[in-house]
Amino acid sequence: MIRTLTQAWVVMRKELRDAFRDRRAIYSVLFGSLFGPVLVGVMINAIADRQREVEDVQIPVVGMEHAPVLVDWLRQQAGVVVVAGPADAESAVRDRSEAVVVVIPDDYASSFRASKPIEVRVVSDGSRNASRPKVQRVRRLLERYSSEVAAMRLIARGVSPAVVTPLRLEDVEVSSAQQRAAVILNFIPLFIVLAAFTGGMQIATDSTAGERERGSLEPLLVNPAPRAAIASGKWLAATVSAMLSVVITTVLCLILLRVIPLQDLGIRMRLGPGHVMGLLSAVLPLCLLSTAIQTYLATFARSFKEAQSYMGFLMMVPMLPGVLSSVYPITSQPWMYPVPILGQHLLMTEVLGGKAPDTSTFVMTAAATLVAAVLLVRLGTALLRRERIIFGR
Amino acid sequence: MIRVEGLHKQFGPVTAVDSVSFVAPDGAVTGLLGPNGAGKTTTLRMLYGLMRPDAGRIFVDDVDAVADPQGAQARLGVLPDVSGLYPRLTAREHIHYYGELQGVSGAALRARTDELLHQLDMMGIADRRTAGFSHGERTKVALARALVHNPRNVLLDEPTNGLDVMSTRAVREIIRRLRGEGRTVVFSSHVMQEVSALCDTIIVIARGRIVASGSPDALREQTGHTNLEDAFVALAGPEHEAVP
Repeated sequence: MIRTLTQAWVVMRKELRDAFRDRRAIYSVLFGSLFGPVLVGVMINAIADRQREVEDVQIPVVGMEHAPVLVDWLRQQAGVVVVAGPADAESAVRDRSEAVVVVIPDDYASSFRASKPIEVRVVSDGSRNASRPKVQRVRRLLERYSSEVAAMRLIARGVSPAVVTPLRLEDVEVSSAQQRAAVILNFIPLFIVLAAFTGGMQIATDSTAGERERGSLEPLLVNPAPRAAIASGKWLAATVSAMLSVVITTVLCLILLRVIPLQDLGIRMRLGPGHVMGLLSAVLPLCLLSTAIQTYLATFARSFKEAQSYMGFLMMVPMLPGVLSSVYPITSQPWMYPVPILGQHLLMTEVLGGKAPDTSTFVMTAAATLVAAVLLVRLGTALLRRERIIFGR
Repeated sequence: MIRVEGLHKQFGPVTAVDSVSFVAPDGAVTGLLGPNGAGKTTTLRMLYGLMRPDAGRIFVDDVDAVADPQGAQARLGVLPDVSGLYPRLTAREHIHYYGELQGVSGAALRARTDELLHQLDMMGIADRRTAGFSHGERTKVALARALVHNPRNVLLDEPTNGLDVMSTRAVREIIRRLRGEGRTVVFSSHVMQEVSALCDTIIVIARGRIVASGSPDALREQTGHTNLEDAFVALAGPEHEAVP
């Protein structure tokens, strides 16, 4: 037993040293760890920027002097700045120097006095998605001013404004920017779990299928080390790499959520060291299983290429709970926690939601995952005794 | 010393090794000679415990290699048919890795590594990664890591295959030295000159069976050919059935 452990340690050290001299392995760990946090950061920042743009709107107005009351009213609205518009409104919008320009006609004052409809032009480019929220904001402001003036005119003529408002529309926008951002934040658990799968992949395949393809498996197995030591050494090396990847991803996500102006989106989400500890204690045990599956499959595969295609399929497994829960909301049931991957998904969601389950739940999930991992490593060890596996088929 | 009794191995319908028995004594070089696919590699793989014989017994210094393959492996230094290296590790790291797996460590391992690097004339390449090594250099690394635990018995599967003249001479030199140190050396080859130049005993294998064995002189006598190559062709037969 002790010999098996020391030999496994020897194999693990060698595989880690070998792997971390390999640029491909380093890239796969780094890319796997950076991809998620960077993507989340970029997306949330884009939403926040858009949101700020709508709230703090600068409206270029052509012909301000014709409608001083309207301009004053606009200036009183929160977050609105009125500036003089460009001489040629249409070309300014077309060449994208302005998102929207309001043009007030010369006859504004006389038409206003005569209570005739005034043509106020809102110049915009409908093909630009990015400027749409801003254009809508401007339109809504002008419409509101229009209906306020209309109401006053009716009151002056002794008619209740309610009479001319048979329908009062109220928009109930269910997808607020806050919710969109929250959806993106929900990706964080997925990216952390993905890191558990990408981080050890390179070592798992290179040290098994790669070892045989290089012709170094046969001489390795001639050493009087127990097969269990060799199989577990390779598995543990992959696990260390996967854990490293998970830690990098989690810490980056934490830093990211501190840097990103979440409060601009109205999200109050403070992630502290406690959350990080919770996330890590949920996901680190999963690394033992993800790499056990990978090592087993790659040992079984006929070639390095076949092993890599297995790894590709395997990447879909960690996405399942996330995808399923978006279609069919998962309410956590006690039996779900010992199910590997699903259990980790639940634990992470609950940690991020601020109601972390008690320690025994963490221990139960980790223990179930560990049992599954050890079982797979034993199967992998048995594979290494087969002549067809050692010498290839 | 290696003793083999009635070794048999079947791959589906093909009999790869058929009742092979021989004794390879200490301080002698025993050559397995035969055409490609004759069963040499399969025989050696059973000796070093990676294939299980269907029948027969193998003893390495009185350790039953079928019942206790790891016990036998500890007494064997093996250069398999395919001896791949790790391109990102140095020559020295290769030797250290196998030494630790064999249970050698610390100062003893460092001393043994230096000794091997000197003996095999590898000091110049000891701390270089093996990625760019020539075939001869790679063979030396594979040999050095196989000998790190100072085994009493050495199995070499076609050790000079594909080597240039200089490297071939170096390997022969090593084989002679191993014999001089009193070790049991078994090596396989399909090259006549190789075997006749080195071996004390030649075992000719064809189609999985031993067709002749003895000293080079005895073989010439037995077949009536003065030329060893003619003797080999006469023994092995012109037609060979390919066996993996």
